[in-house]
Amino acid sequence: MTKWLEENTPKLVLAPSFLAVLVFVYGFIAWTAWVSLTRSRLLPKYEIEGFIQYERLFASPRWDTAINNLFVFGILFIVIAMVLGLVLAILLDQNIRTEGALRTIYLYPMALSMIVTGTAWKWILNPGLGLEAMVRRWGFEEFTFDWLVNPDMAIYTVVLAAIWQSSGFVMALFLAGLRSVDGEIIKAAQVDGIPTWRVYTAIIIPSMAPIFLSAFIVLAHLAIKSFDLVIALTGGGPGYATDLPATYMYAMAFSRGDIGQAASSAMIMMMVVFTIVVPYLYSELRSKDD
Amino acid sequence: MARAITTQRKVIITAAAWAVGLLIFFPIYWTILTSFKTEAQAINDPPLFFNFDWTLENYAIVQERSNYMRYLWNSVIIAGGSTLLGILVAVPAAWSMAFVPSKRTKDILLWMLSTKMLPAVGVLYPISLIFVEFNLLDTRIGLVVVLMLINLPIIVWMLYTYFREIPVDILEAARMDGASLREEILYVLTPMAIPGIASTILLNFILAWNEAFWTLNLTAAQAAPLTAFIASYSSPEGLFFAKLSAASTMAIAPILILGWFSQKQLVRGLTFGAVK
Repeated sequence: MTKWLEENTPKLVLAPSFLAVLVFVYGFIAWTAWVSLTRSRLLPKYEIEGFIQYERLFASPRWDTAINNLFVFGILFIVIAMVLGLVLAILLDQNIRTEGALRTIYLYPMALSMIVTGTAWKWILNPGLGLEAMVRRWGFEEFTFDWLVNPDMAIYTVVLAAIWQSSGFVMALFLAGLRSVDGEIIKAAQVDGIPTWRVYTAIIIPSMAPIFLSAFIVLAHLAIKSFDLVIALTGGGPGYATDLPATYMYAMAFSRGDIGQAASSAMIMMMVVFTIVVPYLYSELRSKDD
Repeated sequence: MARAITTQRKVIITAAAWAVGLLIFFPIYWTILTSFKTEAQAINDPPLFFNFDWTLENYAIVQERSNYMRYLWNSVIIAGGSTLLGILVAVPAAWSMAFVPSKRTKDILLWMLSTKMLPAVGVLYPISLIFVEFNLLDTRIGLVVVLMLINLPIIVWMLYTYFREIPVDILEAARMDGASLREEILYVLTPMAIPGIASTILLNFILAWNEAFWTLNLTAAQAAPLTAFIASYSSPEGLFFAKLSAASTMAIAPILILGWFSQKQLVRGLTFGAVK
């Protein structure tokens, strides 16, 4: 008995975590997948009817806006945060003395809840309270900065707040990458009189390709999951101008009473995340095997 | 000569780096500063930086209006409870995967971690149905369990990466000397595992503290933590700047302090261990 216990302890202690994740995540996803194939409205139904919910979803102009926003937001957010993060990392990589303090400051926004970030930026960008009001008080009466309440521009305020939150974190990723580049090569290049910017563009940055991929994956999944930020900053509005798939799903489930739509939009989001994330995780784990 | 240029360049770079730092930190700094002003001073023109009468009255008013202490206490219970519960479940699992790996270990890990990437909205509806069914809505215990489950994959994964750094040779040496499994875990592994466990606790505490999706959706008044507190102030009507600032300063203060100590863990956790 004791021997059996000793041999099987590893499996036994793994079981609770395994089962928790299995039921909690996959069980509920399976439920969502099932409901997405039914005619559920206010209450879940369980007779499978086919892909009607998906047809309704792709016919909905609101879902269209949400998907467009995801692309606009996702691409701008990822590209700008990566460029900014890289620039900040290169700045910090110049052996400046106060690096530790600066790194902490750059990283601070990431430690805050998305709700705090969203709320803070809501005040800053509020035309009557924040930036616009302040500049007007300084005497520039014509100054207008109404992105937050302008349906065409509101999505860019989400980009702005998200970049503020994450660029320091991207910086930390890139800084670790910069530090892992072989110092000997850089020294050799400097001895040969190659200018610093060429050392970066020709030697250091190309050798950081894996870090770029990691940063991309982390930012992409943050972008797709950005729910709290949008809710706190714009609430999806004005109208549904800043809806993202996550807020669409939320609105369908809780304010519109349309569970079928909620379930089918959740399934689409999950498929998108899976296609981005799973290949990456596999390659990460496989490479660590060697 | 060359040296002079380098020094000059360094000064410029340092100045630029600090300028960016101040820009990033400005919203936080300004919020904290404004929270100590009176309402008139808060919208003074030109903006006041230091030469105003520091006051604590905003804090008193906010506390009076919305009972900050209750939100704070809920946050502590929910973040602390879910972290401890998660550690209890995850330590054995991570131990098993790090030291007694089987053929499937990597796949199980990958599979667990992949769930952390999924959008939480996918499981929100079934969870809220269960909460209604079992009367768990707006209870702290319900949130403790949900946040524990939500963060479990990341806890297991972080612990695993820390445990993997423990040299296996030492374990083998202990086994050679005839240590039993219990002795091996108690006297050899535990002392070496404690730093990793502490880091994981810190990381997960922050993640749970900041968690807004579940706390906003599953609480109303009784169990609402600080994220709900700050969200309740998110419509500026009726309140003024100084009080809003006091409310948000109170909401972020614990994180500002914890964040100072824990940026390493934060980066490691958010990159799923890719950056150590």
